[in-house]
Amino acid sequence: MMPGEVPVARVHLDVREDIQRGREPFARIMTAVNALAVDEALVLRVPFEPIPLYGVLGKRGFAHWTECHAPDDWSVGFYRDRAPSREETAPGAPARERTVLDVRGLEPPQPLVRVLEEIDRLGPGAELEVHHERRPMFLYPQLDERGLIHETDEPEPGLVRILIRRAPA
Amino acid sequence: MSQPARPRPGSGLSPLVPLAYLVCASAAFLTASLSVSWLAPELAGHYYHPRLLALTHTVTLGWVTLAIMGASYQLIPIVLEREIWSERLPRWQLVILAVAVTGMVAHFQLGTWPGMAAAAGLLAIGIALHLLNVGMSLRGFTRWTFTARLVALAYGGLALTTVFGLGLAVNRVWPFLPGELFPTLHAHVHLALLGWVAPMILAVAARVYPMFFLAPAPRRGHSFVQLWGLTASVPAVVLGLLGVPGLLVVGALAAAAAAGAHVTWVWEMASGRKRPGLDWGLRFVLTATAFLVPAVVLGVALATDRLAGPRVALAYAVLMLGGWISLTIVGMMLKIIPFLVWYRAFSPRAGREPVPTLAQLSCPRVEGLAYALLAGGVALLAATVFVGEPIWIRAAGVVLALGALAFVSALARVLGYLFCHRGQAVTSSSSSAAGAPTWPPHSPRGA
Repeated sequence: MMPGEVPVARVHLDVREDIQRGREPFARIMTAVNALAVDEALVLRVPFEPIPLYGVLGKRGFAHWTECHAPDDWSVGFYRDRAPSREETAPGAPARERTVLDVRGLEPPQPLVRVLEEIDRLGPGAELEVHHERRPMFLYPQLDERGLIHETDEPEPGLVRILIRRAPA
Repeated sequence: MSQPARPRPGSGLSPLVPLAYLVCASAAFLTASLSVSWLAPELAGHYYHPRLLALTHTVTLGWVTLAIMGASYQLIPIVLEREIWSERLPRWQLVILAVAVTGMVAHFQLGTWPGMAAAAGLLAIGIALHLLNVGMSLRGFTRWTFTARLVALAYGGLALTTVFGLGLAVNRVWPFLPGELFPTLHAHVHLALLGWVAPMILAVAARVYPMFFLAPAPRRGHSFVQLWGLTASVPAVVLGLLGVPGLLVVGALAAAAAAGAHVTWVWEMASGRKRPGLDWGLRFVLTATAFLVPAVVLGVALATDRLAGPRVALAYAVLMLGGWISLTIVGMMLKIIPFLVWYRAFSPRAGREPVPTLAQLSCPRVEGLAYALLAGGVALLAATVFVGEPIWIRAAGVVLALGALAFVSALARVLGYLFCHRGQAVTSSSSSAAGAPTWPPHSPRGA
């Protein structure tokens, strides 16, 4: 299968009941995504268009298509399209791979979980740039425990940016 | 093999510290709820009765104040983005407060004032330690947002309420305060309500509700009316009750305006939220806010002399303390305690292996039962104390007690994850939690 081609093999996951009952379906979705074979697509059934998920999975190299059956019934397919997106740091600085993770608009403790999942994949020399609504006071001790270096700034109102990288060995 | 280190929020504050406060507060809530049926004859009479004073202080100090203090050790780092100055101080403070509140309640119950005054002195020390810790945590604080201003108002209110209460306690042994007893008591109660509890709830709501409802924070107009309405109401109501003519009505209207702005914002936020489903904690919070409407109507009616007498005053107290304040705390605890337990037991594994979600730690059926019984029990109790019939008050007390038992059971289930070996806790949760979602989640293939 060529990158960008929509796969025929599909794995279906219906999280409408989870959301109806107030359960956070993100862990189930990510488990399903992680279990996908290269030639498989995940078809997600949700009661609303999961716009934040597009960005999250897009950064991991997934493209998507969307079908609206009714205002409260959507099918969204995700399939591997390309390598995960990376941004380069500013010219002049030592070359580092930077992944951007936006956790604004997520219910606690999902921002914490998402950042910890992402930093686990952080390679040597790579950086994770987290966009948050507030200073994540419960995240910092976790980063310290895992030997990660972090810096926080607030470039604009409503945006707290945390830059995380592994400490040199 | 080495275990991952236990996480510590903020500057090394263990999640066990706020949890210990919240567990003690829940025990006080259960005690108070269980005693309502027993105190039905007293609740059908006048509220100035030693046993009702004991019940009131079990709720206001043991339940409400301990819960707010415990929650503040978790929420100050989140809502004010400051680390807690000392971890050791809250541990000593909890011991002092637990002894002091137990002593005060026991001496109210027995009607022995010197012992009650001594316990009140101990309580003042415990509260002073809390104020010291918070004050040191907020040293150099410059971001005076709506929430920060209300928190500052609340801690000022707490300090004044403590001094006022200590004065009342000493006055029982060595009379020195001028004025009549009931206006002074009413002033103490309203200083605590408008100066300490209400600003703290409004402050935390403005930051925390939007996080959970996935909705916007209060607009500038709502914030302005809530902050300045409450700020103006504290001196006006207290001085009005202490005998300054005309101020009571002004203060009551200012408090009503603040409450109205809060209710309107919560309504708008809940209507415009992005989160599709509501868990029981959030339903508690919304129901609590609805109880604020009849409570404020009765409060204004009492302040303007449209209504009077102990029956109305008791119904007002039940709606305010049991409806708005207690149901808000119950709702927030159903959000905070699972987070603290999750943070302690599972966050070191997050990112390294699948971990349960907060919803998977809790038991929605028991929480739903607690919701029906507590919300129904409070409404029933308000109606029955208004009527003043002991048998109906007793029935309402039974409903309330069952609700409190269900609430405490729901918390106990979540807290159980702390006491299992962490590895065992993870594997057993998928099989032992009847009615709870399984974890780790099943493979989605074929789902």
